[in-house]
Amino acid sequence: MLRRILIAEDEPYIVESLTFLLSREGHEVSAIGDGAAVLPAIARLKPDLLILDIMLPTSNGFEILSSIRRTEDLKTLPVLALSAKGQEADRKRMSDLGVDDYITKPFSNHDLVSRVTRLLTAPPGQP
Amino acid sequence: MVRFPTGGRIRQQRRKIRLTQAELADAVGISTSYLNLIENEKRPIGGALLNRIASALDVVPAHLSGNENLRLTQELLELIRTYPDTQMDEGQALQLIAASSDWARAFLQLHRRYREASETAMALSDRLSQDSALIELTHAVLMRSTAVRSFAEIVEQHPDLEADRRRRYAGIVAAEAERLGSSVRAMMDLLGAGPASTALSSPSDEVDDFINYHRSHFPQLEEAADALRRDFGDGDIGSHALTERLESRHGVELRTVLRMDETRPEASRRFLLARHLVELEFGDLLENLAVDRRFITSDAARALCRRAITGYAASALLFPYGRFLEAAEARRYDIEYLAQHFGGSFEQIAHRLVTLRRPGAEGIPFAFLRSDPAGNLSKRFSTLGLHMPRFGGACPLWPLYGAFRMPGSVMTQLAVMPEGERYLLIARCVSKRLVGYGQPETLFSIMIGCDASYSSRIIYGDRYATGSDAGGTPVGSGCRSCSRADCAQRAHASVVATDAPAQDARVTSMTMQ
Repeated sequence: MLRRILIAEDEPYIVESLTFLLSREGHEVSAIGDGAAVLPAIARLKPDLLILDIMLPTSNGFEILSSIRRTEDLKTLPVLALSAKGQEADRKRMSDLGVDDYITKPFSNHDLVSRVTRLLTAPPGQP
Repeated sequence: MVRFPTGGRIRQQRRKIRLTQAELADAVGISTSYLNLIENEKRPIGGALLNRIASALDVVPAHLSGNENLRLTQELLELIRTYPDTQMDEGQALQLIAASSDWARAFLQLHRRYREASETAMALSDRLSQDSALIELTHAVLMRSTAVRSFAEIVEQHPDLEADRRRRYAGIVAAEAERLGSSVRAMMDLLGAGPASTALSSPSDEVDDFINYHRSHFPQLEEAADALRRDFGDGDIGSHALTERLESRHGVELRTVLRMDETRPEASRRFLLARHLVELEFGDLLENLAVDRRFITSDAARALCRRAITGYAASALLFPYGRFLEAAEARRYDIEYLAQHFGGSFEQIAHRLVTLRRPGAEGIPFAFLRSDPAGNLSKRFSTLGLHMPRFGGACPLWPLYGAFRMPGSVMTQLAVMPEGERYLLIARCVSKRLVGYGQPETLFSIMIGCDASYSSRIIYGDRYATGSDAGGTPVGSGCRSCSRADCAQRAHASVVATDAPAQDARVTSMTMQ
């Protein structure tokens, strides 16, 4: 089933590879590279899933996630965070803010696609 | 005060040279039964009798009294106090040293390396989390490795990929892999450039140990310096004479020695010339002394050790032992007078006082300590009673630190330790270099100290002889080993029993007796 996925990531090559992989799975993929533009993009595109890099310019992943969870319509939007390997404190902070899942860079394509599929098929609020 | 099994050492040495109790007793003029009591630690021994027994046993008195191990004991006690949860007590520490001082020394060295490794790890961790260049490089490495992995997997796992797309992705993998290599190399350069990546051992600690073991005195260097000085004739050796010898004997020009630096004060200039000369004249002797593998374990430590003993030899050349001791006694250890009289700096003269340990012609035993304005300690030379701390800093109340408030002025203190020992401490803040406007000044505080019982022989002790200063200042030797509960300057919780334990202090029953 075609779903809309928004990738918030500022590294063009990572965006390109994710776009390729998720498009092949039949999803409609959009990308945004600036933190401050994520919330407006969500409002415009109404994605079914957000892939969110923690280290975004302008507004980081924590601030964006916090804003998303404070917005009534977006409380159940599935969010998959991309974090740097080994930064346990970052993962805990994302969990506390209500992230649905996270994956560390560098990730395997198979792992990423599996997590995306699981989040898109899980009932809302139960990843 | 730590007590050593002197009697046991006497018996051990007596047996070693195959003397009976009766023979030794006879040789030193005491009864066999009295010697037996001494050997069984049932009678105290010291002074003239200890000297006679040492002479009869062909050892120096310090070997029997255990004083040569005192510093080792103090450091071991200081160390076990930092681990109050351990079951080891003072008695066991003494047993360890009595059984094998080499093991005790190895244990201390091991701990020192552990501590330095921990500090290195913390410094690295701190650097990784704070250094913006490293953060940026780490981010770049992660991004590039993510792209490389992702595109490599796509190329491998999607055989149906269009030719153009395959070519593009393969190109991205190659380009990003190359950038990844550059980022990793830049990261390694950055990590390798800083002090945090240096060797785990601390060369300066090793050199301090080496010098303390020799009680800050090197007879071979004194003899060599005496012999060299004879070539210069009587009197002081000035910069001109040193320069002449360097040029005529070794073909070294003045500007090479001073490295074009004309801003040095005369005392520093002369010392530098003397250093250069003894380096050239005593090369083999210095090298042989500096390769003492019991203490010196790395090339960096060897270089530092050689530098330290070269300085010693220069000092012995410029401040001849006999004349210097005589002047020091006559002028009651007035460091400023001696500095003017012998043309030395405050630090050079203070350091030379510490080296006056020639058996039979000893000056007052001084301990020595140097601090920079940040409190980093160096040149820790202890004496029998006054132990210069190795772990955790010195007492913030010592004039060592107060001297920074009044650069150029001598500060003194009659320091009263928690257990009642009294020491006379003398400190002064000195500038190592003359500098131009806008350049940072290199400051150090130099402190020497001795048992207060020597105060009457020292000009700085006069003010404590009578009057309001006679009571002294309550201090410690460092927060962790200090039992004073009412100190407003306390920086760390004490690990010894305090008068009224602080809430956060980890208290054990162990105190220094």
